[in-house]
Amino acid sequence: MAEKLLEIKNLKQHFNVGKANEVKAVDGISFDIYKGETLGLVGESGCGKSTTGRSIIRLYDATDGEVLYEGENVHGKKSKKELKKFNRKMQMIFQDPYASLNQRMKVMDIIAEGIDIHGLAKDSKEREQMVFDLLKTVGLNKEHANRYPHEFSGGQRQRLGIARALAVDPDFIIADEPISALDVSIQAQVVNLLKELQEEKGLTYLFIAHDLSMVKYISDRIGVMYFGRMVELAPAEDLYNNPMHPYTQSLLSAIPLPDPNYERNRVRKSYDPASHNYTEGEDVRMREITPGHFVDCSEREFEALKAGIIKV
Amino acid sequence: MEKILQIKDLELSFNTFAGEVKAIRGVNFDLYKGETLAIVGESGSGKSVTSKSIMRLLPESSAEFKNGEILFGGRDLTKLSDKEMQKIRGKEISMIFQDPMTSLNPTMPIGRQITEPLLKHQKISKPEARKVAIDLLRLVGMPKPELRMKQYPHQFSGGQRQRIVIAISLACNPQILIADEPTTALDVTIQAQILELMKDLQRKIDTSIIFITHDLGVVANVADRVAVMYGGKIVEIGTVDEIFYNPQHPYTWGLLSSMPSLDTEDAKLYTIPGTPPDLLEPPKGDAFALRSEYAMKIDMEMDPPFFEISDTHKAATWLLHPDAPKVEPPLSVIERMKKFPGSRYYEGSKN
Repeated sequence: MAEKLLEIKNLKQHFNVGKANEVKAVDGISFDIYKGETLGLVGESGCGKSTTGRSIIRLYDATDGEVLYEGENVHGKKSKKELKKFNRKMQMIFQDPYASLNQRMKVMDIIAEGIDIHGLAKDSKEREQMVFDLLKTVGLNKEHANRYPHEFSGGQRQRLGIARALAVDPDFIIADEPISALDVSIQAQVVNLLKELQEEKGLTYLFIAHDLSMVKYISDRIGVMYFGRMVELAPAEDLYNNPMHPYTQSLLSAIPLPDPNYERNRVRKSYDPASHNYTEGEDVRMREITPGHFVDCSEREFEALKAGIIKV
Repeated sequence: MEKILQIKDLELSFNTFAGEVKAIRGVNFDLYKGETLAIVGESGSGKSVTSKSIMRLLPESSAEFKNGEILFGGRDLTKLSDKEMQKIRGKEISMIFQDPMTSLNPTMPIGRQITEPLLKHQKISKPEARKVAIDLLRLVGMPKPELRMKQYPHQFSGGQRQRIVIAISLACNPQILIADEPTTALDVTIQAQILELMKDLQRKIDTSIIFITHDLGVVANVADRVAVMYGGKIVEIGTVDEIFYNPQHPYTWGLLSSMPSLDTEDAKLYTIPGTPPDLLEPPKGDAFALRSEYAMKIDMEMDPPFFEISDTHKAATWLLHPDAPKVEPPLSVIERMKKFPGSRYYEGSKN
């Protein structure tokens, strides 16, 4: 298997700690991200998938656990210099292409912000050239550099967001629902662009989304989250063909497909967390059922899954 | 089947500072009793404007009917006064909006919001209306409806709010329900529940539904018939099977192939090049021609008429003209056509 780029170990992100309304948005999840792969993260709204992405890139300080980037912890006390080093390697693309670009800045300055902060351009001429190149990479042209965000369509703005993320030449990009706000035909354009860039630059992606067919299309592996926990992690193909956790099964059975015959015969499953019948103190954690296919289960369920008798 | 709504040659423009935006450019369709008609298309194709024009919800200061009529129960809705329209809205035709967060009044308990159309349109007392409202909440699957009546929208989840909106829209047993992207803001699992609820309710009260969406998966799930809109016009209309398994218009091909299905292999996704037309100055001829690899010379010059493929299926593209060259649709579309008896790629009979 490829080299690990990122190791997430027992990451916890709790809000309002110690108060009555404490929220355990992410409650102890562990997974690895390998170099050059796309890991998809799916789940309902409120399951903690975006929080996971934001904690990894240190937009939030993790409550507990570690995020190791090439062996070094991202969290914990850092000097400015160390932080800058991480920030160059990790970038983020946000969901809302309308809200994530500063309306008062020109495209040139939006994209060059990272270049300026990290001092990547020797002079203004080089800075300009870098921005032009980035615009070209994402399928826009240099005339666009002097415009303001409101002059662009949704798809184009998402391209600007991608150009800005690429400006500091990162290795790892977290894409938090980058296509949810776009039209179907535009979604395909942005997804194709992300795929091309990955091949060209050897990027690693964490792709967060709730559109499962798109996630399957772009991801090598997919993690399914439910209420702050990861319940299943498997290669994309495997997860769709052989979902083991009942929540994954219910999620998959809910996706409408553009195929009327399939839709007429679809049986929707619902998930009841009580169906596990876990006893007090039972050791429920991620266990590897088949190579690379992990399911959140108890020892008892693990044995059953292994034997292939029941699907959790 | 009984036609409940007929839209004939509808043309509507917005007067803006930049000029006249021709948002709807000659739309024709009928809605039958008890059916679900889905309208699909990109943003700006005119699908929402069409539905809002039926409800007359467009700002009178800028939106202007240029031509055509909307016939409902023997009356032309484009000609009714505001007062007459108010008697129809919420009673005979009602609407569900995309965002359940903003379509409820945050300062009013939901009970009052559900009884509002009842008190307005039906001569019943407040206690009676309350009873009906509780029944409605029960109908849309809300647990403990008596208790929930007093609560405010922020105390409900997104899916529950959409259920409340549906309860309000169904309060007066409307003949037509217009649902403008009712599940776009919801999660897949919640979406599945809401779609099932809508289908179930439709069976119970026999309303006709106009369902506007850009999610083709949802269309395949709910629709009996589908109208595909592009550049302010319907370019193809047919039964759900005809549109999904025997599409004829290049734009429908583009839409269907730009969505990955769960068995799409690693190949690149098909994308429709270019951007939707500027309706300030709509292009001459077929509006889609500029983005279509199948465009012919005539597409740039003359508007294609509708060609009938079957009694229920028609498409506006010159490719269907007897003199047009036979073209091959994209591969993924051919795969779909193989499943449809009557298409030229059908291979079902061999098995």
